[in-house]
Formats: sequence, C-alpha cells, structure tokens
Amino acid sequence: MNEERLTFFGYFRNIYTAVKSSAIGMWITFRYVWGKKPVTIEYPEVREVLPENTRSRLYNDVLNCISCNMCAISCPVDCIYISSVPRPKDLDIPKCDDGTPKRQVLTQYVIDTALCCYCGLCTTVCPTECLTHTEDYEFSQYEVEDMKYDYLTDDLIAWRDRLVKA
Amino acid sequence: MQTWDMDLPELQEPETQTGEKLKSELLTVNMGPQHPATHGVLRVEIKTDSEIVAKAIPHIGYLHRCMEKHCEAIDYRGVIPFVDRLDYLAAMSQELTYSMAVEKMLGTEVPRRAVVIRTIVSELQRIASHLMAFGTYALDLGAFSPFLYAFDEREKILRLFEELSGARLLYNYFWIGGVWNDITDTQIDFVENFLDGFEKELVKYDKLVSQNRIFQERTMHVGTLSLEDAHSFGATGPVLRGSGQAWDLRKVNPYLCYDELDFEVPVGEGQRGSTVGDCYNRYYVRMLEMVESVKLVRQSIKLLEPGPIIGKVSKVIKLPKGEIYMRTECPRGELGVHLVSTGEKTPYRVKIKSPCFTHTSILPHIAPGQMIADFVASIGSIDIVLGEVDR
Repeated sequence: MNEERLTFFGYFRNIYTAVKSSAIGMWITFRYVWGKKPVTIEYPEVREVLPENTRSRLYNDVLNCISCNMCAISCPVDCIYISSVPRPKDLDIPKCDDGTPKRQVLTQYVIDTALCCYCGLCTTVCPTECLTHTEDYEFSQYEVEDMKYDYLTDDLIAWRDRLVKA
Repeated sequence: MQTWDMDLPELQEPETQTGEKLKSELLTVNMGPQHPATHGVLRVEIKTDSEIVAKAIPHIGYLHRCMEKHCEAIDYRGVIPFVDRLDYLAAMSQELTYSMAVEKMLGTEVPRRAVVIRTIVSELQRIASHLMAFGTYALDLGAFSPFLYAFDEREKILRLFEELSGARLLYNYFWIGGVWNDITDTQIDFVENFLDGFEKELVKYDKLVSQNRIFQERTMHVGTLSLEDAHSFGATGPVLRGSGQAWDLRKVNPYLCYDELDFEVPVGEGQRGSTVGDCYNRYYVRMLEMVESVKLVRQSIKLLEPGPIIGKVSKVIKLPKGEIYMRTECPRGELGVHLVSTGEKTPYRVKIKSPCFTHTSILPHIAPGQMIADFVASIGSIDIVLGEVDR
C-alpha cells in the first residue's frame, strides 16, 4: 500500500512506540485496582431496585375491570384474550373502586405472557387503570402453556393484596 | 519365517510432485452465523487463498421477522414497538424516524418541550450506540478491557432510559405527537453528572485504544473505501464521513432543534497517519461524534422549558391518503421510512431504508486481498446490526 519503507531506525522507533502506548494502556487498566467499586450485582442475594415505571409482568385487577376491550384492541401482538356478557337488567350494577359502573360480566381474561412484548400500550389505554405492569421479573416456566395467566382464578386474584398499591 | 509364494505386483515409484503438477484451489470458509465477530447472525462465505480473502459473499436473512408485513396489520401506534426491534442498539432513533413520519402526515405540532427531550434522548442514544460499537470493535481486535469500560458507561444511559420509559432496550418512548413520560430535574442532574464523567472517560478511551500502536497497526490502511466508492454504494453516516465527506442530515436537513444547536460534523481526514476511508477513520469519526453529542446534550438541556410533552392526537389515528418519506441521521447512518396510507386505520405499506443493509453490500468490495483477521476488522468498522439488515 502507501506505507513507507521501513528503515533501521524506524524499526526501533516502532518498537518504542508500541511498548510506550501499551504501557500507557496497562497503567490505565492497572489503576482500576484502587478506588473503583465493583459494579457487578451478586444477583440471587442482592437484587437491583427497579424504577417505578418498570414494564415487567402484567397484572389485571379483575375486580376493577369494566371489560371495555381497549387493552385487547391496542395490543400489537394480540396476546390478550378477553370476553364478557352483558349483565342481566334485573341485577344491581356494581361499581369499581373509582366509581365506574361495571355493565359487563367478565367471563374470560387471559394474557399469554409468553407472547407479550412488554410495550406498555395496553396499560396506557386502560380507563380504570386496573391493568398494570408490575415489577416482577422472575416468572420462568417449564411449559409454554403455563405462561398463560387466567386472571379470574382465585390464585391470581390473591396477588391483588401483594401487587396493588393501596 | 514366512515367505510369500504369490506373485507380487510390480511396485511403482510414486510420482514426484512438482510445483507445476500441484493442484491448488480456493478454500471455502463459512464465517458465522454464530461467529462472535460478525455482530449478530451474519454469515459470510469466504473463498480463501491460504490466509488471504479472495472473495467474500455475505448471506443475510437469519434474523428476518417480516417486520414490514407485520406493520401493515396493526394500527399506527402499535407499529412503534415493532420499529424498536429494527436496530435494537439504537431503538430511540428508529422510533423518532417513524413517529416524525406519522406526525408530518397528520400535521400534528409537537410541543417544544417534547422536541427538546427528543433531542436529548436521541443524542444520548447515539452515545450509547457508539459506545457499543467502540467496545465490540476493540473486542474484535483482541482488547477486552475497553469493552468493559464502554459497558460501564452505557449502563448509566440505559438506567436513565429505564427510568424514563420503563424498559432497558425496547423503549416505546417516543409516541406519535410527543413523548411518553416527562424528564424530571433529578434525571437532568443525572445526565449532567454523567456527561462530566464521560468527558474524562473519552480522554481515557483515546489514550487506551485510539493512540495504541497495536490498534493503529491493525486498523490503519485496512479496508479502505474511497469516497467515489462510498458514493456509488450509497454509504451514509460514519462510513461516508470516514471516507471524507461532511454529510450529516442534522446539518444538511435539520430536524428537531438541531438548527439552533452549535456542533461540528467530524470527518475522517487521515488522522494520525492513516489513509482516508480506512477502518481507523471510520472508528475515529465515531469517537469524535461522541464528543459532539456531549456538546449537543449540554446545549439542549439549556433549551428545556416547562410545557406539555404530548400534542393533540385523536384516539384512533387515521392518516390522510398519500405517502411520505422521512429520513433522519441514526447512529449507523441515514434511516428512511417510506409510509404509504390509503386512509385506513393501518398503514398500507411501511418501507424501511436501513443504513446497515447498504453497508453490508460494501463488504464484498473491500474484502478481496485482505487477511482474514483484517476482514474481521473491516466488518467491525462498518458496525452493522443484523436486526436492521434483515428487518
């Protein structure tokens, strides 16, 4: 290429610059021995505190859900399966915590967590804010089918006390 | 003692192999798709003559996810999480291009505060992306510690993005009409502290890697791409600037509030005795761009003023009939989004012009005549992300 022809002194000058620049690099690396705290977190013992609006596992508080279908419409990967029937007219209409009447009876609310892309679009459109992203990030399963969460089961409704802030 | 009664075949003396009779052919080596030096799932089929590359053919498509087709089935807001997954190391920049295309077609006015936040965030994203390019490039060439230092700094930016948007990699932070969450004063203080520390880090990277004689020997005069070739291949971004042309969309065709900010466009000029357009220049342009990005973030923080962060957009977005082409300067080059609408709730076509795809086509041109180890350096210096190549 257009490299200069190597001279006798150039040969030694190359060795000198290589050793010198490497020594500078070594010194920079060596200084990390002192005064630098380790940044690694010893995971199972120490857990990182995640920010408040972390988007992790979804949780739907079905007691406050008005079955408006907004979450299922906005989901870009269609991972929310929701169905409901109109409430019979002779019954009283119960209300959510924030006073919105529940005109529909929720019969199915399943989220396929394995399909979810954690984009957060469903939580922003929720009118009663019952669907939220929690800070849980440890939910691996052996079977893909186990990743389907049916939020109408008693087990998952019991999470309400743990996850929903009072 | 055993004797042989039968007739032995007449033994022949073996043919002496002279140089003229020796057969020689090119050896085919598959580099990838799980090769760590190819930055993802790129397979390069190399015909080698001993250690020298005679021909290199990149095979792409291992990360193809039918992105563009998927976008045709979902509404305009739902496309944003998909464009995140194009260039997963600089997701904010992809969101910016797409949301600007939709906003321009809708005629939405983005509030001033949202514009400034977008500038800050996309410049921080540029730093994060270039840090990744810097770290992995040093890793390709056999230096491990720069990679760790780069990740240490990148982690701080990702932490800020996590607080802003809630995710570390695929943000969905830029919405049509503005941004999702507001940036708080504590976060701005965090950014300023980070920038102060980062300037010292940049000096350290310069001493540790850019001035290192071994690194220079590995990258200088290697994989030279002349300006003429860069034009004919349609190269953009640091690859074009490394070849010596000061072409930056932030200067040429300003968007966001870049026209109010003072910055320079770094160009490869054969710094420190290198040839213009070689791997070292492309690498060095990225390092200089990080310095410019620090300046840009500092200036745009001063422009922040209280106000709304999202403009008025109807709940169901319906674009008028027509099409638009929007392009922005992403960390890897010029990203274009061609959006065609027929007035429905979903886009008719979302065509994405990706810089990485263009830059992959340069590889067969610069490969012949290189050593295999230099070819690894060439791949690293163009800094491709396969999520964007395959889409």
